[in-house]
Amino acid sequence: MAEQNEEDLALSRRAAAGDSASFAMLVEKYERPLRSFLARMGAPDPDDIAQDAFLKAWRFAGQYDGRARYSTWLTRIAWRCRLDSLRRERVDEPRDEEPASGHEQSAEVSDMLARLSDKERAALILCEGHGWTHPEAAELLDMPLGTLKSCVARAKTKCREMWSDHG
Amino acid sequence: MADEFDLMLGSALSPNGREPDRLFVARVQARVALDERLRAERRFAIRQLGIEVLALAAVAAALLWLMRAAPIASFFAGSPEIALTALLALFASLVLLFSRPVEGRGIRA
Repeated sequence: MAEQNEEDLALSRRAAAGDSASFAMLVEKYERPLRSFLARMGAPDPDDIAQDAFLKAWRFAGQYDGRARYSTWLTRIAWRCRLDSLRRERVDEPRDEEPASGHEQSAEVSDMLARLSDKERAALILCEGHGWTHPEAAELLDMPLGTLKSCVARAKTKCREMWSDHG
Repeated sequence: MADEFDLMLGSALSPNGREPDRLFVARVQARVALDERLRAERRFAIRQLGIEVLALAAVAAALLWLMRAAPIASFFAGSPEIALTALLALFASLVLLFSRPVEGRGIRA
């Protein structure tokens, strides 16, 4: 087990025993990538979903066993929260998300991402931006490894084409 | 080998290196605290309900047992209005007992 996982496992176990300060350390550590992922996914309320995910992570802290990275485990929870939220709102079409910042390049990337399917977008963000391995992303997105790899490659090709057309 | 596009994509998609958002952390902590409080209140309410159901069952069983005793059964058979009045009084006292304010026995915030 990686050293990072061991540290997170210890914090999660303390959280499971009711230590909210340990849990706050986990929130501090992982709120940034989680909210960034949710915002990039075009979630209309990324902070609400992130809060729901952290709340569930607190309730089920005892279930984290340290085999996967804590960020992977947490993102799985957030992914399910996001799917529930989408189901509730009956939103099926990709949304035009707000750019994460006013930066031109960021708006351009947001525009490219908005043209991808939900799974292509998630796979690309996680594998190209967040450093997830292909097996981790395949498990989260519930698809075979080969399909995930083609999904990432397809998403990247689409973005490259849009980038070239723009440039 | 990574070209300009790969570098741009990787940098645009990676979470930026800002400091942790203390306000967000505080919000999550507040939700966790609220969740804990609600769970404690729910546990308390379920325990109270269990105790009250048990108490009611015990009173009902005691009453049945009393009513089956020969002297009481014959007395109530002779004057059913007294039995009805006694039952109504018992019901009223139970209502008063269970609807009293729960001040001092609740969960502290």
